[in-house]
Amino acid sequence: MSLCRSKMSLLRLWQDRKDAMAALALLAKDFREHWVSLLFLSLGCITVFLLLLIQNKGAVYSMSSLEIVRYALLYLMPVVSLIVGNRLIVNEYLSGTRLFVEALPLGQSLPLILKYLTGLGYLSVIAVLLILLAVNSASLADEITLAYLALITSKTLVMIWLYWSIVFCFSLCGYLRVMLYLLLVAMVAAFIFLPNVNADLIPPIALMDQQLFVFERDVTPWIAIIGTSSLAMAFTIGGFVLVYVGEGSVIERLSKPMTRRDFVAISVLIAAGLAVWSAVIEKNSVASVEFSSAQVVRMEDPAVSVLYLEEQYQASAQDYAERLSDSLVALQASLGLEALPTVKLALSPDREKHDVDYATSDGVFISANWLEHDTYDDAILDSVVMHGVLSAQTSGRAMTEPYHWVLDGFTRWWVEQGAHDINPRHEAELLARAIWALDSEPSAQQLISRWQMTADRFAYPSAEALAWSAMMFLEHEQGRGKVLALASEFLTRPVGHSILSSFLDRRQSPAFRVGKIIGVPVGEFFRDWAVWLDLQKHDLLVSSFLQQIPSLQGRVTSEFDSTGVHRISASYELMKSELNYSEDIMRLTGICSMKHNYIGPFDAEFEVSDDYEDTSFCQVELPTHSVDSFYAQGDRVFIALDYESGGFHQPLRLHAERLTIQ
Amino acid sequence: MIDLTDSTSVEQVARAYAVNPVLKLTGVHKSFGSLKVLDGLNIAVYPGEVFGFLGRNGAGKSTAIRLLMGITQCDAGDIDVFGQPLKDDLIGIRQKIGYVAQDQNMYPWMTPRVLSKFVKNFYPAWDEKRYQQLINDFELPAKRRIGTFSGGMKAKLALTLALATRPQLLILDEPTAGMDPVARREFLDLVREQTVNDGATTFFSTHLIDEIEAIADRIGIVESGRAIYDGALDPLRNSINSWSVPKELYVPGDLPGEFARNRLRILKEGERQGRWVVTLQFSERVLASSEIVVNEGWRNEPMSLEDVFIAVVARS
Repeated sequence: MSLCRSKMSLLRLWQDRKDAMAALALLAKDFREHWVSLLFLSLGCITVFLLLLIQNKGAVYSMSSLEIVRYALLYLMPVVSLIVGNRLIVNEYLSGTRLFVEALPLGQSLPLILKYLTGLGYLSVIAVLLILLAVNSASLADEITLAYLALITSKTLVMIWLYWSIVFCFSLCGYLRVMLYLLLVAMVAAFIFLPNVNADLIPPIALMDQQLFVFERDVTPWIAIIGTSSLAMAFTIGGFVLVYVGEGSVIERLSKPMTRRDFVAISVLIAAGLAVWSAVIEKNSVASVEFSSAQVVRMEDPAVSVLYLEEQYQASAQDYAERLSDSLVALQASLGLEALPTVKLALSPDREKHDVDYATSDGVFISANWLEHDTYDDAILDSVVMHGVLSAQTSGRAMTEPYHWVLDGFTRWWVEQGAHDINPRHEAELLARAIWALDSEPSAQQLISRWQMTADRFAYPSAEALAWSAMMFLEHEQGRGKVLALASEFLTRPVGHSILSSFLDRRQSPAFRVGKIIGVPVGEFFRDWAVWLDLQKHDLLVSSFLQQIPSLQGRVTSEFDSTGVHRISASYELMKSELNYSEDIMRLTGICSMKHNYIGPFDAEFEVSDDYEDTSFCQVELPTHSVDSFYAQGDRVFIALDYESGGFHQPLRLHAERLTIQ
Repeated sequence: MIDLTDSTSVEQVARAYAVNPVLKLTGVHKSFGSLKVLDGLNIAVYPGEVFGFLGRNGAGKSTAIRLLMGITQCDAGDIDVFGQPLKDDLIGIRQKIGYVAQDQNMYPWMTPRVLSKFVKNFYPAWDEKRYQQLINDFELPAKRRIGTFSGGMKAKLALTLALATRPQLLILDEPTAGMDPVARREFLDLVREQTVNDGATTFFSTHLIDEIEAIADRIGIVESGRAIYDGALDPLRNSINSWSVPKELYVPGDLPGEFARNRLRILKEGERQGRWVVTLQFSERVLASSEIVVNEGWRNEPMSLEDVFIAVVARS
């Protein structure tokens, strides 16, 4: 019996020895196959790391050298893992040499386990080496203790384990691995960039936290470590399962080399996926922000908050909040809106009274100064608020669609006469503006097709007046209900921020939709409106406003003088018109100003600021403005010539053009 | 399974050999998803013989070999090698098998010398002397990278590797695929010579009839995952014959002669070059006798082994 037992144990020993020899042979084979590449990879990795350390030390605001470890983990080690995975696993599977090894007298798991351990071991050694280099380069301020070193090393090794497990698993998926990596990158990007996902709680991202990874010394992030380790374990198990499911038939099918047809198919799939994604995805998703100050007047339903900063402005803020709230309630009822966005208005006493900062990404947020407002100025501000509210109803799309004029015209109409009678002076000023604009540029009658050009040429106040007058004409002809119906058609349905939504929104042309609401073809409506508007010039109050408009048109020149300095100059000349504009230029009370701004490559709708302004008394036939330009050749510049007087609340744009500096 | 009635069967072969088979597949089933590759395959290979495993492409030959090597597992059935179930000692059994795969997937960066250093660690009976001898005999460059070898050289190297393990069973899975006729003949001669010298059992899978004719003692024909013939070559060849008659003289239902009693089945019939050809299978004894009297107008068509194979496969 004992002889038999000792024979058995000798056999077992022999078998163990054979297993060890087989494992060693496989390891030696891998070493022989990859040592040159891995050596160069290690040297490259260390060189890059050392360069980063040196650069960091020489920088004005240098960071902890262990921060470089974090950067290496984020950007360097994933690439190193990919290269190692590609050499150790992908090549073996794609070239078919795996089949040769599989036919050897070996346990089925041994080659795969050895590859897994080899890759993990190599990456871990590199990572530890990088930590040691960082520690060696650390300053006194880093205060490297043994516990701290153990913590950093643990976190680093857990991340390395995760990287290698992912690479291990995906490398076994043949050509599909490219798709899987892209998918993974997209997922990580989504976690990081989606505003409603707190990435700091998601394990691998939490472990690599910018603040905690290096600077947290006392608390071990167990949850992040365990979470990351679990993920690593899941990918590892996934890899092994993939090999054994269907006895490798799955992996065999996956690991076939990609043909051209596969490349094309995958490219088409990716392109199609991106197209579908970009068509369907809704892009706006921003968490709401509220005023945190105590000096805020808050109204509920609709939610209006007015920030007033100082106690002395509380009363005006209260008045404003109540007026806005009443107007919004009436608007909601008139248009049948289900919900309204939050309206946040911040008092900014330093601003000019018509200088409004306007944002609609989070409800409606407006920063303005209403402290010295008259009723017309209030209407301007109210109009901006309503513009934001209704724009939000269409998810901001109304501002970029051919029915932008409906938004502009309706909001002013609503503010002026939607819920109460219009102030005659407001009416006259607005009509005078509209008449002047249409007289200066008859093609501005095409509100649908030329709205953007009209807004460019005459600036927002006059363009708004033009659209408002169209609404007023509609009310005059067909009643208040039609104006509300037109607004309901265009401004109450949200248009998604996607290609698909845009497509659905454009099934019918805006002209057709306008015509459907008002019951007459849109061309006929615009002609009738122009005739009606022209008749308004006979109104005494309107006429008095028209007489305050200078009968001027501007001209801009751009040239280099003899010394090579570029200059922008402008002059004015009298304009021929049947309207009763002021031709006595010397007696004008207002001033002429030239404003100019650089146009960025993506600027579409453009409002020139007052930052670069040259003001002068208006004069005819003489150069009025001449400024040294700071623009370079090829720059595109927006130049506007405005007339500002006490008669009109906002400037009249006499001339505007986009100029390319030659 | 083709039943020649008085010809050999697995049991009869077993009785004839009176020894246990070196490898035996009994009722082996294997499917990949919905694709049934092996459907109750029965095969037995006996010590010292060269067994030709014949079948069309996709008949299940390579799958059967992968099962024999334990690379994949069967869904049902038994696989015994050297008298014991394969799964009981897969590594031990593989150490006694020399295997030449259909595709030579050796590491292209290795040289034959490096390859032997790698492979010998896995085989207790590795014979380095023989390896070197065969390398010399096959005129393979020992220091050149395998990646630069031709298909024929790789096949020879694979055979060298397999033989250097001193195998008790040599499994060759379509090893001559892609070789030119000269290289193929050279390779087959080497196999024959080496296996005769060693006395090893050889399991030779192919779809080329002439290879079987050149090398095999006994054949198994596999079609659609089943063995449709298992036995010696001659009985199969002798049990099948063809006759033809001008198409205009052919009356449907006619047979070449008055031997309905002895006829087992019609394997194949159809038109070829203006003649109606009928291939019949008989009891081997009947064909050997002179009982066959051919009707007027019919003539005997000589059949090659390839014709026999095609007729058998077509019938199945």
